[in-house]
Amino acid sequence: MIPNQTKAALAITVIAFAAGIWLFLAPFIVDYQNDWKTLIDATKSDMWTGGALVGIATLTLLLFLAFALRDADHESRRRLIDENVGK
Amino acid sequence: MAKHFVGIIGALLGAFVGAWLLVAPSALAYQPEGADWADPTFVDFWTGLPLTVISGVGLILYSLGLAEELRNRGILRCRTHEDVPSRDTEAQTVPSQRQSDVEQSLVPLMAAILQDMQEQRQRREAPDGEGAPGGTAHNEYSVHGDREAQSERRTRQ
Repeated sequence: MIPNQTKAALAITVIAFAAGIWLFLAPFIVDYQNDWKTLIDATKSDMWTGGALVGIATLTLLLFLAFALRDADHESRRRLIDENVGK
Repeated sequence: MAKHFVGIIGALLGAFVGAWLLVAPSALAYQPEGADWADPTFVDFWTGLPLTVISGVGLILYSLGLAEELRNRGILRCRTHEDVPSRDTEAQTVPSQRQSDVEQSLVPLMAAILQDMQEQRQRREAPDGEGAPGGTAHNEYSVHGDREAQSERRTRQ
């Protein structure tokens, strides 16, 4: 079972993922990038930072899921062995 | 357990990204000093600040989750209400415990000193030759004690 604190922390990681998408799209939405041929420093910074944040959040969620599945697998095997030993 | 560490590292990196967003307008100089905030500065600041805060909260929550799992596995000891002594009790018990430890460590030393003093007194009070059988000293301490007694007698005379 995943503790409640960890569930809340996962929700925060999802929020960080959303913040990354927002940062990536902010220059388009807020419209502070006038000429799209040459990107200004602010746009480059926001796009790179947003991309990095999306990457970090995605990696965190995927790795968390992978390790949680591995833990669940270990737990189920351990229970199976305990039951067999009990018989 | 590893999943919590992944979360902690992710939250830490998220906090770093948030901190970078706060300083980016100044660092990349797209916010002129003293001028009104430009749109990118507003976006970066008001995204960076909440991101830093929620990443910090996430870091704490992942750490609490890790502690919870460690307690469930029995690696971390679960603190029950009975285990936690009140501050008054702690304040009373800890100094007395320290004091008793010091006393216990000093007892053998004090006993040795007392024994030594008692032996020296016996040697002084005893007449010559009685302290050491055959008039010979057994060890350097008794020799030292005899010499002391002799010098004391001379000063008295």
